[in-house]
Amino acid sequence: MLDILHPKISNINKNNIDINLSEEIIKINIRGKNKEFFTKIGKILSIILPSEPNTSSSNESYDVLWLSPDEWMIYFEENKNTNIFDQLYKDISSINLGSITDISSQLICINIKGENIFELLSSGSPFNFEKFKNNVGSSTQTLVNHIDVILHHKSKNNVNLFVRRSFSEHLYEWLVDSSNFI
Amino acid sequence: MPNYRIHKTEYIDETKRVSFKYDGKTYFGYEGDTLASALLANGIHLVARSFKYHRPRGIVSCGAEEPNAICQIGSKKDLTEPNVRATELELYEGLEASSQNCWPNVKFDIGGINNFISPLIPAGFYYKTFMWPKSFWKKVYEPLIRLSAGLGKSPTEPDPDIYDHKHVHYDVLVIGGGVSGIISAKMAAKNNLKTLLVDDKKTLGGSTIYQNNESVKIDDKLSSEWLKNEIQEIKKLSNLTIKTRTSIAAYHGYNFLLAKENLTDHLPEEKKRNKIRQRLWKIRAKKVVIATGSIERPLVFNNNDRPGILLSNSINKYLDYYGVTCGENIILFTNNDSAYETSISLHKKGIKNLIVDLRKSATSELIKQAESLGIKIYFNHVVTNTFGYRKINSLEIMKLSEDGNTTVGDKIKLSCDCLGMSGGWTPMVHMHTQSGGKLNFRDDDQVFLPKENSEDQISVGSCNGDFDLENVIDKTVNKINKFLDIDNQDYQDTNIICSKENDKRNIWLLPNKIPLGKTKCFIDFQNDSTAKDIKLALKEGFRSIEHVKRYTTTGMATDQGKLSNMHALGIIADTAGVKMGSLGTTTFRPPFTPLTFGTLVGRNVGKFFEVVRKTSIHEWHVENNAEFENVGQWKRPWYYPKNGENMHDAVQRESKAARESSGILDASTLGKIDIQGTDASEFLNRVYTNAWSKLAIGKCRYGLMLNEDGMVYDDGVTTRISENHYLMTTTTGGAANVLSKLEDYLQTEWPELDVYLTSVTDHYSTASICGPNSKKILNKLFPNLDLSDENFPHMSFKEAKLENINCRIMRISFTGELSYEINIESKYGHSLWKMCIEAGKEFNLTPYGTETMHLLRAEKGFIIVGQDTDGTMTPSDLQMDWIVSKKKYDFIGKRSLYRSDTIREDRKQLVGLLTDDPKEILEEGAQIVSDVKSKPIDMLGHVTSSYFSPNLNKSIALAVVRSGKTIKGQKLIIPMEHKNINVTVSDTIFFDRENKRLNA
Amino acid sequence: MFLINCPFCGERDQSEFSSGGEAHIVRPKQPTELSDDEWAEYLFMRKNIKGIQFERWNHVHGCRKWFNVVRDTSNDKILSVYKMGEKPPVNYK
Repeated sequence: MLDILHPKISNINKNNIDINLSEEIIKINIRGKNKEFFTKIGKILSIILPSEPNTSSSNESYDVLWLSPDEWMIYFEENKNTNIFDQLYKDISSINLGSITDISSQLICINIKGENIFELLSSGSPFNFEKFKNNVGSSTQTLVNHIDVILHHKSKNNVNLFVRRSFSEHLYEWLVDSSNFI
Repeated sequence: MPNYRIHKTEYIDETKRVSFKYDGKTYFGYEGDTLASALLANGIHLVARSFKYHRPRGIVSCGAEEPNAICQIGSKKDLTEPNVRATELELYEGLEASSQNCWPNVKFDIGGINNFISPLIPAGFYYKTFMWPKSFWKKVYEPLIRLSAGLGKSPTEPDPDIYDHKHVHYDVLVIGGGVSGIISAKMAAKNNLKTLLVDDKKTLGGSTIYQNNESVKIDDKLSSEWLKNEIQEIKKLSNLTIKTRTSIAAYHGYNFLLAKENLTDHLPEEKKRNKIRQRLWKIRAKKVVIATGSIERPLVFNNNDRPGILLSNSINKYLDYYGVTCGENIILFTNNDSAYETSISLHKKGIKNLIVDLRKSATSELIKQAESLGIKIYFNHVVTNTFGYRKINSLEIMKLSEDGNTTVGDKIKLSCDCLGMSGGWTPMVHMHTQSGGKLNFRDDDQVFLPKENSEDQISVGSCNGDFDLENVIDKTVNKINKFLDIDNQDYQDTNIICSKENDKRNIWLLPNKIPLGKTKCFIDFQNDSTAKDIKLALKEGFRSIEHVKRYTTTGMATDQGKLSNMHALGIIADTAGVKMGSLGTTTFRPPFTPLTFGTLVGRNVGKFFEVVRKTSIHEWHVENNAEFENVGQWKRPWYYPKNGENMHDAVQRESKAARESSGILDASTLGKIDIQGTDASEFLNRVYTNAWSKLAIGKCRYGLMLNEDGMVYDDGVTTRISENHYLMTTTTGGAANVLSKLEDYLQTEWPELDVYLTSVTDHYSTASICGPNSKKILNKLFPNLDLSDENFPHMSFKEAKLENINCRIMRISFTGELSYEINIESKYGHSLWKMCIEAGKEFNLTPYGTETMHLLRAEKGFIIVGQDTDGTMTPSDLQMDWIVSKKKYDFIGKRSLYRSDTIREDRKQLVGLLTDDPKEILEEGAQIVSDVKSKPIDMLGHVTSSYFSPNLNKSIALAVVRSGKTIKGQKLIIPMEHKNINVTVSDTIFFDRENKRLNA
Repeated sequence: MFLINCPFCGERDQSEFSSGGEAHIVRPKQPTELSDDEWAEYLFMRKNIKGIQFERWNHVHGCRKWFNVVRDTSNDKILSVYKMGEKPPVNYK
């Protein structure tokens, strides 16, 4: 078995902000437009892809984030449903219903939770978190410290932040530094 | 030591004595003081020498408009700060401040000689004098001017303080915490709107908070008492945030404002440490209420700049807020009622004072009050001169003529130790105009006012030209109700009593018997420009206010003319005989008050200066002493010096190893785009210059991407993974832009195509192994993979497992060697790399960086987009006509390839260059010519890539040269600073022209 | 800094977007049939007016969708946003 090297992200807790690396999360990018695509996805995942912008839907197995009118991201822990990507690729990509792409290593999931997390994010993001923080299940793509991120409001004051792996250590260091000054 | 602190106020804590140093001498003040109020309490007025004439100058105001009392704080190389306004700087224990622009000291300044030669330094002096001889500018004039000019000293070492930024979003932002701001904030917040109130001072309340005149009452209380109650109330409102010591620096479009909050500048040094000094708030507000108030105008008369001459209302604030009197025998010189408030307040505290009033008479309540107190008033009089070198000691007044154009009668000499001047009030319309608002001129009291209020922005209070308290409150309440579309009744029954000003008389340049040329009527104190300068500018033909401003430098100092612009305009209008309103104003630009660089930069310093991207193999590169190169945001290994090698030696060793045995490169940074959909092949046909439909599954192809103008934009290898599934690679730097461009075409030009693009750049790590031994290394890593040329030829792709993990292996080459690129999910990238290194040990597998990669590909004549191209090179210019499909009907940029300009034969074209001396390495960017004798020298092109090739044992270079394709074998010259280098134009391929090594 | 109402994601800060120049310049279907002048017209000629301008923007740090914007360049007010393929609002010209 090959060794896995995660980005250097360790648990930090200060000023009511808890920053953690969420390891072993599978992320799959899903794109498609037609009705058959939606039906098929719904069947495979037992979930309806959210059609409303900046929202997500979840069941016991998966979280699905709206990314654009024809693009979603599903994520889940690796130990569950290990072959779902293959199934999706076979039933969607292979028959040209849409596009399924494994982006598990493309994005790093950093979990941030605590009362002050929106203060923290606002240090580097022009996004207006007013609505977002009052609605569990909100998702958004925006910039934090000039870096593209996907944010998912998982539960009250608990956000999963997805960032490209190459940026992740830099963003993490910035988050830690910022949390000193809340 | 004299003590001018004559009474107690609630804003000065006399139990907390604070010691500070000013110009090396220790003084005391109290908590609550500003540096200016503490200096005045110690009897110090003289704080500066003026910029041009080095005249003694004193504190003029009590706020952001201060032109004179700017000082240098601290003396440490990293923390010293120039141009701090003493009127805004809160006193703290251990503060060290010194005056600027004087040598050897403020009391005896050698530059003061300029005052006596001032007739020789008129407006535009520098422009006129230092024009000739030209060579003198750099060597004589500029150093001299720099030596004697300049305000303060910059720190010479990095700023150790911490600064921060934060974005906030509010329903309503109220700028200014005076009476109208407080009312606005309360109304908004009580109506459930998330509201932010900012004020640049330490305490809220503006000028009403220290108002103590019995004639100004609200609900039977002193207006200050009433306002204190209001402040207590708004502090309880849960959806109101109040930020004091916070000033708006800039008001941009879409209600985006920048505010600077001072967090530690008022604290003693030991309490500042490890805290954020200043925070820049990036505010988005749905609606903005501007309640920035107004500032008092000076008056323009002869010698109006002596220490001891202040704005009248500032004298009032120093007295009633700080408990400090600015003198013991004060004269107030005014054209309006507000100086009477100061006078009455002084009188009540037993300070002797009298009033000189421009107006023929005045009848308001305040005037009656002053008269009944027995305060001497000289109506219809004007100050014509002042005396006293380091501080005013007397002045002369004369009667005004009926029309106000001249003086009549005898001079009256009055002694005094302080003069307060009040030329009326200037509404602070900075915020309104910064946001794009226009102004109207009100002739009545000669003020510029916001012309219109938009649906998301409004001005209230005196910044909107409402000056008396009743007007301020009533209008504010009405306007805010309308603006926020609410119906607040809180102030319905508020009963306001105040004095109403009935009489006005304004004269911008006060008359004098002395000819203007012999007077010193200052307009801009900080830049030392006088009424005479303005008139001279007009005489010399300047008309536009923007030109007069620049010629005379009026309003161009650090105070940005807060006190001077109106007078300059007024004098221009009077002189030119035009209406002031028709002149317009100069532009109000941000910031309102100067910002430190630290505040602007925030925490984007040090390691956060720039965003950094790292590959998953980065740690290995660090452990193995790689030097890094920035490529876009990526940190890429540049070369790996061994045993103290320099760059040249390391690169020579790496390059040789790669060709002789094997080399390995971290190629993870290349952009990777996953392409799926039934029209994927057609899409590639349209975006690349070559044909894609016939590419077999499992094969790779190199493509050139153009812009519509036909110029090379990007390149890379794309692999067909299955019928409708491709993996495209792009250049490292171009990845994001390529994806965006491709999405653009898909979404806007070709929405009918069934194609989906997903970036997978970071999903894969890529180890590129090249060299004659690369196959052997691959065989060790993937023993089950058939690496034979039949099964796995050049430009093809295989999937294979490393242990149980899938890898995508492309046999492609950027070095000209047999070469494999192994892609693995990036969490395993580090493991893959280490296994490659381990497997390669017996073959001297040498890690190489970008420099060696560039050298190796240059030996092969492969281009690097962005190095050998610059957005003006067509494929043909690059001698790459072979990659442009003749058969395809269309692709991006195709039509441009035969525009009259792109088919010109004398375009710059890519060529190889060989130096006559094979040891001579050309400089990249060097110009290429054919003849150095004829002038001007005809420049034919420039060197784009240059290296010493260890494999050829000679210097090689690529260059773009006019008509390059047709001049192979020609001799050209690279002129350098100390010599001319002779070169010969060659083919672009220097090494292995037959591509034998790809299958070696 | 504009606030731009992405037709998909809603109102966002300008820093999430990139500008793509003038809108409604359709790429010719048959570029090879065009004269140099006609092609140059498509390639280079852009309006740069004070007043109402039709522009393309990309929500590059959000949903990655391109869309159209009607902006008054004299005061930077965005008057309308609409999706690609939709007709420009008729009340502006």
